[in-house]
Amino acid sequence: MVTAHSTSRIGLLTGHSLAALMRERTVALLGLLFLILVIVSAYLGWSATSTVNAIYLRSAEYMSAQGQTLPPNPVLDTSPLALLRNMATYVSLIGALAAIVIGHQLMSAERKAGTMPLLGSRPMRPADLGIAKSLALIVAIAALVIFAALINTATFLALPEFRLDAIGWLKLAAFYGASGLYLLVFGFLGLWFGASAKSETVGLLIPVTIWLTLTFVLPQITSNINPVAALNPVSALAEPPASAFFQITGWALGSLSLAEAYRIISAQLLDFLPANYIDRAAIPAAVSLFVAALGFAGLAARAIGRMDMTKGDYDA
Amino acid sequence: MSTFVVQTSHLTKRYGDHIAVKDLSLNVEKGEVFGFLGHNGAGKTTTIHMLTTLLKPTSGTALVCGKSITTDSLEARRHIGYVPENVRLYDTMSARSNLRFFAKLSGVEDADRRIDETLEFLDCRDLAPRLVGSFSKGLRQRIGLAQAILHRPDVLFLDEPTSGLDPMGIKTLRDLIVRLNREFRTTIFMNTHLISEISRTCTSIGVLNQGELVFRDTIEKVTARYGSESSLEELYLSVTPVQTQGAA
Repeated sequence: MVTAHSTSRIGLLTGHSLAALMRERTVALLGLLFLILVIVSAYLGWSATSTVNAIYLRSAEYMSAQGQTLPPNPVLDTSPLALLRNMATYVSLIGALAAIVIGHQLMSAERKAGTMPLLGSRPMRPADLGIAKSLALIVAIAALVIFAALINTATFLALPEFRLDAIGWLKLAAFYGASGLYLLVFGFLGLWFGASAKSETVGLLIPVTIWLTLTFVLPQITSNINPVAALNPVSALAEPPASAFFQITGWALGSLSLAEAYRIISAQLLDFLPANYIDRAAIPAAVSLFVAALGFAGLAARAIGRMDMTKGDYDA
Repeated sequence: MSTFVVQTSHLTKRYGDHIAVKDLSLNVEKGEVFGFLGHNGAGKTTTIHMLTTLLKPTSGTALVCGKSITTDSLEARRHIGYVPENVRLYDTMSARSNLRFFAKLSGVEDADRRIDETLEFLDCRDLAPRLVGSFSKGLRQRIGLAQAILHRPDVLFLDEPTSGLDPMGIKTLRDLIVRLNREFRTTIFMNTHLISEISRTCTSIGVLNQGELVFRDTIEKVTARYGSESSLEELYLSVTPVQTQGAA
């Protein structure tokens, strides 16, 4: 049962964890880098689209003078949302890494401080610490996502040639919801190993290895996307070869290929999914992400609940 | 109503084949300063870890202020203050911020007033604004003691409180423990392996040897029976034979 005292202790621990997180330079630097990349993404999208538009206008002028029929402007065939397509890559690369570091730091900072015995002898339920750390993680990731969303909203408002209709704004909001969910998957992964690993280094290396596998190895097995192509938001969504191997791996392992699931959702929401693209995974992409976030949250809570509270530090 | 603040019955902790604490049955009365004596590795810290609910016993029961450490651990913790052997606090925060955090976590209303009172009592009010990371072991131990008594616990568990302190630090801490017991009627349960610590601070002692309680009596009776501090040392060595033989 969650009592009022318990709620206030969870709030206190959450606030304390967030304050400690903000004092960590690595977290601040990664968060800042992510936000800079959000701005770069918006700029690159705007720049590429403006260049195409400028070339079209010049060509149109020339063709009109020659009395030729004008083809349609390719920019008008593209959704304004697609100018953010690089965001999908940045979120799955730097965003996911930042989320791992945030999740890991939330536990490792506490363990390094050596205060677990003092916390454990306080009148808190065993679950309170896990709930507080999870809430701190959700707040930190939500802050990152909201900042990114604000930057992109400002970009759209500042560029009148890229007007979004109501559906467009809803899709943009949904994209940030999906991005937050994707980042939470990695945040909870970091939290889990931050609580359960025997050393700080191992606690960070294992989630990073899992991230590398999900981002670069699994997409290659399920969809023949090589690591370089995985960095490109458009080529990462090219149809895999129609061989039996990819049919089977795509169906069986596609649901585990979370980076791919996130790219598919992003491409759908930002209107850059190739028209003929078929998701072969047995479970829909959104369900995969949701189940993964929930699963890792459960594992993190279990690991925190089972921590040895007598130990003041990793090797104490 | 029982006046026992700590009651254990057949309390046992095993780690695989190794028995850290064996069949410990022990009562500590309200207002006592109980010294738990034993060699390194005798099971003293494991006992404190179980009594402070940080560690689950393998078998047996224990009550702290009438609350079971296993089935009612949340309630038991409300009555407990704990100072580990090596006090670790948040180094990047000031002493006051550390104390405020722990006070609120312990449910203390008007935390700042209580912090001032506690620091005044411990004669270290000037430490409040300073970063804990800059403290010596002695000062850290003092703030460690402050965090443990902020909520005015009924029983204070101290694990080797004077370990690593210089003679002046030891004397200061010993005086504080005695004052704490006299002024707040706080029961003290103190682990130590120093005979001098026991004779100057405690009202009763227990000796643990290889996880088993081999001696328990009041200091008054022990002193009457054995006399001086050196005799107390002889008593200690006589009830912990295995270690003595090993050392010989």
